[in-house]
Amino acid sequence: MTPNLAIDIAGVKFKNPILTASGTCGYGEELADIFPLKTLGGIVTKTITLQPRDGHRPPRTAETASGMLNAIGLANVGVDKYITDKLPFFDKLDLVLVVNVAGWKIGDYVELCARLTDHPRVDMIELNFSCPNVELGMELAGNAELAEKAVREVKKVCTKPIIAKLSPNVTDVPSIAKACEAGGADAVSLINTLVGMAVDIESWRPRLTNNTGGLSGPCIKPVALAKVFQVSKAVKIPIIGVGGISTYADVVEFMLCGASAVQVGTALFVEPDAPVKIIKGLNKYLKDHKLTSVTDLIGKVRVW
Amino acid sequence: MSLIKNATITIAKKKPLGRGYYRFTVGPFPKVSVIKPGQFIHLKIPDTNIYFRRAFSVYDINPKTDTIEIIFKVFGRGTALLAKLRDGDVVDILGPLGNGFTLPRKDDTAVMVAGGIGMPPIYFLAKHLIEKGYNPDKISYFYGGNTKDDLVDIARIRKTGVKLFPATLDGSSGFKGLVTEAIMNKIDLDAKNIRFFACGPEGMLKAVDDLARGHNIPGQLSLEAPMPCGIGVCLGCIRPLREGGYTRVCREGPVYNIGEVIL
Repeated sequence: MTPNLAIDIAGVKFKNPILTASGTCGYGEELADIFPLKTLGGIVTKTITLQPRDGHRPPRTAETASGMLNAIGLANVGVDKYITDKLPFFDKLDLVLVVNVAGWKIGDYVELCARLTDHPRVDMIELNFSCPNVELGMELAGNAELAEKAVREVKKVCTKPIIAKLSPNVTDVPSIAKACEAGGADAVSLINTLVGMAVDIESWRPRLTNNTGGLSGPCIKPVALAKVFQVSKAVKIPIIGVGGISTYADVVEFMLCGASAVQVGTALFVEPDAPVKIIKGLNKYLKDHKLTSVTDLIGKVRVW
Repeated sequence: MSLIKNATITIAKKKPLGRGYYRFTVGPFPKVSVIKPGQFIHLKIPDTNIYFRRAFSVYDINPKTDTIEIIFKVFGRGTALLAKLRDGDVVDILGPLGNGFTLPRKDDTAVMVAGGIGMPPIYFLAKHLIEKGYNPDKISYFYGGNTKDDLVDIARIRKTGVKLFPATLDGSSGFKGLVTEAIMNKIDLDAKNIRFFACGPEGMLKAVDDLARGHNIPGQLSLEAPMPCGIGVCLGCIRPLREGGYTRVCREGPVYNIGEVIL
């Protein structure tokens, strides 16, 4: 029997729990050369802002042990061009489309969601509350009151389910998750990148022009897993696990720790067809373990 | 474009070329004939300590054996590990990626400029053009390096029949000085229908770009940038455009028109 990989988050049906993470799959079209996008449960676009942005000066990525640093600076075409130029690509594609948005004040998030909510092809909106490379991102990430208010304001204008993307760079991630839940978030995704730094010892220059950046890749997976586990104890809304996921085994770990779905990010840079391999592997894992549905894994970690 | 996804490719032949330069023949690679001069492959160094792939311009293709060749020089940890691989070892390759050169018209004079380890796409371009019937006499091929040991595989370049002008900083081979000085010395830059094709170190590309723009000569440059993904999704390999904004070297490049990118 073929195991059932389908999941449901806030009434949105995913054919499998594998999404691609914001900022690692462009607007979607870039990956279409590599594998059929409909293989995916869903895709999360790179962060969209009200105005177009060029992003930070290069260099804005640096290789690290088992991962990388980035400070792209939310380079994107802006919401107008996104809607006219990038969104139509998804018209005939059967997968969940999550649009990730970020702003510099709560009003920006409200305006972005208001612009996107009526578009039939947008299935969900992910609020980037955690970009370590822009100022408000850091503030929203660590301030429960502000995060709750932002979600509440957005929910007033937006009928699409809202995912709040949380930062690991705060003292207490579960309290922020709870605040987002209280504000009306339909799900949370975590973690965004960890603040990190690397320096060239010849030029004494940081390897990124932003000086610090966000660390991602396999090196952050244990941190992400622990945060997902902690947040799963604190909230009732679904959790989407993100952070260093490269294999089906990573997915199983995240789901056992409470994730209902996952996002594959930095792994795409090294293995652009990683999601295809992950979905295959997950299928086999479920079969081998005589599980009929992937949902049987959610939160089932046998804690000591 | 036929894209090879994470294909495992065997190293068929490893050839040290001296001074840390290596030539690898890898394959089998389906439909190597579709690969255009200027395109690159993205190779995973088989070592868990190296996270990103490394980009290499294609040096040559062999449709009979379905193999391609790359040439690299040991610079850092990635290339050092690559140099340790042996015949029969397997590597994971993604490609061909990026855009190739726009070929010159039959009556154009191609001034090709290869600097140091930027030589592979220039050789491939020259060979490809000649195979397509382009007159080798209409290719002036400048090959620059610090010293004669940096001018690798030179017999093979000579065999194509191009007009070869070596240039070395120490004068150990050919013209003594910068490759752009050699060009000014040997080429009438006010002649009609000249086209530049260049790949090499940043300083050389800037000099070629300045020279070409100064004489209103069109042409193309193949740029290098550290490329985490190679497929246009990470936005790490960007360069500033003269018209404003950035370009992704892996996706819109690596070949650009003279003057397009701020060097």
